[in-house]
Amino acid sequence: MRSRIKNCVLQLFVAPLVIAGLAAAQAPGPGAQENVELLTQQVKELQQQGQEMQDRIRQLEANQKSALSPVAIPTPAPTATTSVVPPETEPPRESPPPAAPSPELHILRGIQWRGFAEADYKVLDQRVPETGTYGFVPGSAGNFYTGDFDLFLTSRLTPKTSVLAEIDFQEGDAQSFKVDLRRLLLKYDFNDHFKFSFGRYQTNIGYYNWAFRSASWLQTTADRPLVMEFASDGGILPTQAVGISLTGSIPSGDLGLNYVAEYGSGDTIRPDINGDALLNDENNGNQINIALFVRPDHVPGLQIGASIYHDQISDLVFPAASSQTESAPESPSARWNQTIVNGHVVYVSRGIEFLNEGFLIRHALIGTSETFNTPAFYSQLSDKFGPIRPFIRFQYVNAAARNVIYDDVGLRYGPSFGARYDLNDYFAFKAQLDNTIRRGLPDLNDLHLQLAVTF
Amino acid sequence: MAVVRTKPIVMFLSLLASLIFMPQALAQGTVFAVVVNANNSVTNLSLLDLRKLFSGSKHSWPGGSPVKLIVRAPGCQERLALLRLLGMSEGEYRQYWTGQVVRGEADAEPLVVPSFGMAKEAVAAFPGGITLVEVTSIQPGMKVIRIDGHLPSDPRYPLH
Repeated sequence: MRSRIKNCVLQLFVAPLVIAGLAAAQAPGPGAQENVELLTQQVKELQQQGQEMQDRIRQLEANQKSALSPVAIPTPAPTATTSVVPPETEPPRESPPPAAPSPELHILRGIQWRGFAEADYKVLDQRVPETGTYGFVPGSAGNFYTGDFDLFLTSRLTPKTSVLAEIDFQEGDAQSFKVDLRRLLLKYDFNDHFKFSFGRYQTNIGYYNWAFRSASWLQTTADRPLVMEFASDGGILPTQAVGISLTGSIPSGDLGLNYVAEYGSGDTIRPDINGDALLNDENNGNQINIALFVRPDHVPGLQIGASIYHDQISDLVFPAASSQTESAPESPSARWNQTIVNGHVVYVSRGIEFLNEGFLIRHALIGTSETFNTPAFYSQLSDKFGPIRPFIRFQYVNAAARNVIYDDVGLRYGPSFGARYDLNDYFAFKAQLDNTIRRGLPDLNDLHLQLAVTF
Repeated sequence: MAVVRTKPIVMFLSLLASLIFMPQALAQGTVFAVVVNANNSVTNLSLLDLRKLFSGSKHSWPGGSPVKLIVRAPGCQERLALLRLLGMSEGEYRQYWTGQVVRGEADAEPLVVPSFGMAKEAVAAFPGGITLVEVTSIQPGMKVIRIDGHLPSDPRYPLH
């Protein structure tokens, strides 16, 4: 019985092959022979008609060219390298080579748009908002909000100049929205070693700002690490400035050394992140940021870098409900030197994302010996399994209790767990659990759900 | 005790395996040439430089003219060869380029063309144009460059 079943299975697979082979080998009968002759005749007639049409088109094109342009259009000269075509390749077609119009015609003018949006739900185990406002209603533990709606525009003007702009619509209190021109850059790319841009930029302090900008869809996690959060959302780093930025690669062989130099003016206003509804106006001076990083050729995906940033700031505090001009003093009396040192080691390749960044933020009151050092770091690891990317992150920020600049921050650290699920090339769903341990306050736990989209 | 005959099972599994892996094996066997604009002075690239070009890490040719990437649409053999070169899946490739544009590392994603004819015309039209084509499609007037010093007819040529 067993062997009969095996034979049946074999016959089932072998029979179609045998039948197909026999069918292919069969010679046509007398009736079929007539059909073949008829079809052959029709093919010959069609070929003849096609040839006549091609001749006619060539004649018309030649007439049109001679009528429109007295100057001969140059054709690219065949190069010696075309001799690499192996002998078995198809014979060259006799169509004329394409004409080469002016390079100016090749620039695709116009604006290229790309959008990023998100819809979020976040529930805390407390009724006080944390990390910016984001539509939170005090007294409510869980809220829906839309986060950032980001429109990204680029336009190439000449082969070496282009414009880049990023417009952000951000949800505020009472479902109001404010518009922020996050980036407006007039760019000139001389070559890979020298790229110049002028306008409003996002500071290249560290890796995260450079890699993800304002697009939640690009991020693996539902939110940014606290130290890398945008200042307008309660982040502690100066993330925006207006000025000039130079970037490029430094000839260094396999090391892949790159540089960033930025000089500009910022004016950071950040909300307190402890829900006390106060704003901090830093009235920044002119900031300078220098960064170097390597991307070794022999370890694709690895980036190791460091940056140093310097500025002078104030620490003016006023209620978020009132306007700045009503509450803030006109001239700040105390100025602080702000120096931020960053180091990062990042590996993003073969589905693995391993981000590690450390910061030391130093504030020194000018004219005195009073200084505050604020260390911070985050580490994030994720791997991709098909459409799912589980992740784990640990973050740490420690502002001294006496630190008047970051008096709302204090000590915060804790892990985050979650996963990103890519529904398709445009939608990503993220679920994230956070546990934050805070000095002098109860631990904070939250669940953050996000649907991020690019279009 | 019945004797289990393994020969038919092995034959069946072999047939199944060949049906599954034959398309990939055929794709691996195809040779792809790197074609640039006829006026481009470059005649040789390292495989690493080629990766940098097609990943947008290298934006300009030695003469300073901007690189214009021309890639075939998803599903084509040239597209699969490109993904193999970069070590990415189709989804990773799309996400990667979205990031490159948003970071300001590139002003646009590579130009996607649906046919060989359009790729050929685009390379001829853009002074900094570069694309991958199946070597059997090469025609007179197309400039094929060496990779690591090897031409596509060389057995040591790396783009298969």
